[in-house]
Amino acid sequence: MKKIETKHKIINPNDFGKNLSTLNLGPTHPATHGIFQNVLTMNGEIIEDAVQTIGYIHRAFEKIAERRPFYQITPLTDRMNYCSAPINNIGWHLTVEKLLGVQSTKRVDYMRIIIMELARISDHLICNSVIGVDSGALTGFIYLFQEREKIYDIYEEICGSRLTTNIGRIGGFERDFSPSVIKKIHEFITHFPKVLKQFENLLLRNRIFMDRTINVGSISAERALNYGFTGPNLRAAGVDYDVRLMNPYTSYNDFDFIIPLGTNGDTYDRFCVRQEEMWQSLKLIKNALDNLPEGSFHIDVPEFYLPPKEDVYSKMEPLIWHFKIVMGEIEIPVGEVYHAVEGGNGELGFYLVSDGGRTPFRLHFRRPCFIYYQAITEMIKGSMLSDAILTISSMNIIAGELDA
Amino acid sequence: MENDSIINIIKENFINQVISVDEGSDMLTLSIEKNAVYNIIAFLKNELGFNFLTDLCGIHYPDQKLPLGVIYHLHNMIENKRLRLKTFISVDEPKIKSCVDIFSCANWMERETFDFYGIIFENHPNLKRILNVEYMDYFPMRKEYPLEDATRKDKEDIFFGR
Amino acid sequence: MENLKIALKTVNPPEGYSAPGFFATSLDKVVGLARKNSIWPLPFATSCCGIEFMATMSANYDLGRFGAERLSFSPRQADLLMVMGTISKKMGLILHQVYEQMAEPRWVIAVGACASSGGIFDTYSVLQGIDLVIPVDVFVPGCPPRPEQILDGFMKIQDLVANEPLRRRYSPEYKALLESYGIK
Repeated sequence: MKKIETKHKIINPNDFGKNLSTLNLGPTHPATHGIFQNVLTMNGEIIEDAVQTIGYIHRAFEKIAERRPFYQITPLTDRMNYCSAPINNIGWHLTVEKLLGVQSTKRVDYMRIIIMELARISDHLICNSVIGVDSGALTGFIYLFQEREKIYDIYEEICGSRLTTNIGRIGGFERDFSPSVIKKIHEFITHFPKVLKQFENLLLRNRIFMDRTINVGSISAERALNYGFTGPNLRAAGVDYDVRLMNPYTSYNDFDFIIPLGTNGDTYDRFCVRQEEMWQSLKLIKNALDNLPEGSFHIDVPEFYLPPKEDVYSKMEPLIWHFKIVMGEIEIPVGEVYHAVEGGNGELGFYLVSDGGRTPFRLHFRRPCFIYYQAITEMIKGSMLSDAILTISSMNIIAGELDA
Repeated sequence: MENDSIINIIKENFINQVISVDEGSDMLTLSIEKNAVYNIIAFLKNELGFNFLTDLCGIHYPDQKLPLGVIYHLHNMIENKRLRLKTFISVDEPKIKSCVDIFSCANWMERETFDFYGIIFENHPNLKRILNVEYMDYFPMRKEYPLEDATRKDKEDIFFGR
Repeated sequence: MENLKIALKTVNPPEGYSAPGFFATSLDKVVGLARKNSIWPLPFATSCCGIEFMATMSANYDLGRFGAERLSFSPRQADLLMVMGTISKKMGLILHQVYEQMAEPRWVIAVGACASSGGIFDTYSVLQGIDLVIPVDVFVPGCPPRPEQILDGFMKIQDLVANEPLRRRYSPEYKALLESYGIK
């Protein structure tokens, strides 16, 4: 007998009595900020299961990186977590400096700290205001985006670009902080606390917001560690792991700052942890700016750092280095390094394998979003759809970092 | 925990399965046989406290006898020690046991490695392509494949220096 | 009173004949004027350009003053499809589906280098320009374009909307254009 093909849904005996339907929280959805898909199996309003599909913005960064000289990879790293692009750039520069075995000066370190903490504030501003938008509070979003414009002004003054910054160079910065940059940063740190306090007054102890976010999307510390969580999401679950303290880089151990921790690992804890991290970042920027040491704004890395133009036009050695750097014909030491920085979402790692050619042999990005997004299924099972939306947006999923 | 004590403990428990030890790069790197990977990682997690899988990625050395490799980065958060494990497998039979039961975060990282290099992880619950389109029939990160899309018509290679 | 009259800048009405109590002009000019100041955009934001769009929508560069205050996330109710960010091959099919669901008249603006031509990503997985899958009206270059550039592109769309002949969507050239993309 020929087997009859049927297009009807096969009913599982265990499903009797349940009203299961499939909902496509599809790639283009107003509430998921970024393109990734969740196919939810719903029993009425309760979510029974979720299957994720990602890769809608896969741009093959790791393959591109095998074809680019080292300084051309910096614009690529910008576009991973585009909300806090300077952290990615400086992380990449630190990786190359680790491979070359060079030590940077204190002034470079402090300048890098100021820029990375500004980027962290900028990332957390988006995440927290978007949690507000998804629970219906649009005002906070409008207030905080004005502050991001001020951060963009500072970036523009330093490197010329607002969002995808390509900031700094391997070995430091291309020019020193001008007096107007210092003035703008001072104005920012005087004015921003008032706006942040206004935003806190709107949401932090707001009964509606608390009812919507407490005990929603919680995860325990053991499961979070098993799922590879890092960053604010892990700290909200109660584990005090911060790469800035565990494996310090750029003189973070000169500074005194608190790591905020949550207890439940739910959405409210993640919101509060990010909020407190912004206050701590402000403190770090103020300390670094007040104690900015004298010195050079770059270190001597002749293989990658373009020599000043006056030297290129008058002396022989800088001319040769300039030619070699621009043509990309530099000898790079053979070796492999793994360097991690604390990005806006957690441990952003760069695994670089070099075989001495002009481009990396293999560059792998350890992207925190990609690793912890797997846990969403466990976090939203059993909750309602509107809670799932808040959980997903509180995890700060950035599509560029998810897919790379 | 010093590097030497880790190396000695592992060598005692897994005789002849550690191929080489490298302390020259930034962290202790062990190169091990592919059949021992699952057991060594479970041992590291349960006995030596390496409770965090930082990263899992693939690599392709076309000139080696065993070209495809899988690289694990582990982290002992309590004593702040990092460790790198490398294992190499052949192209004709690229199979290795999956570590999803030990670390749940290995799920998608192994799918990504499969998507890019074609390394098959046995006992993986859902080994499908994750980042590329599902009907893609080659493994793009292997060195023999180009970066650009071969079917694009609007860009002339001579103008782009290729 | 004269100072106040000189200081105020008003928009010119379209060409027509006016007298006390009425203003006569041609229908397509009025329809164009009404349409261009009330476009409902669909923000198809995929990556970094999406963040610049969020900055354009917020208070500093306000897109709302051009009439585009109400964003529509449903293609059935949208007029303008703003594609912002890289479109990969996986996403190209979805973009095509979203475009098909929009009702006439519809316009498309490709914001950013990635949407216009693939941008810096000349790879096997990125679509080299969305005009390979849907017809595009305005391309805005930049990586990412500044909000002022996005607004400039939006104003060019407004020019297109204001000057469009009323029967354009029924013309054979337009039908042939849609045929070439496989859109029914």
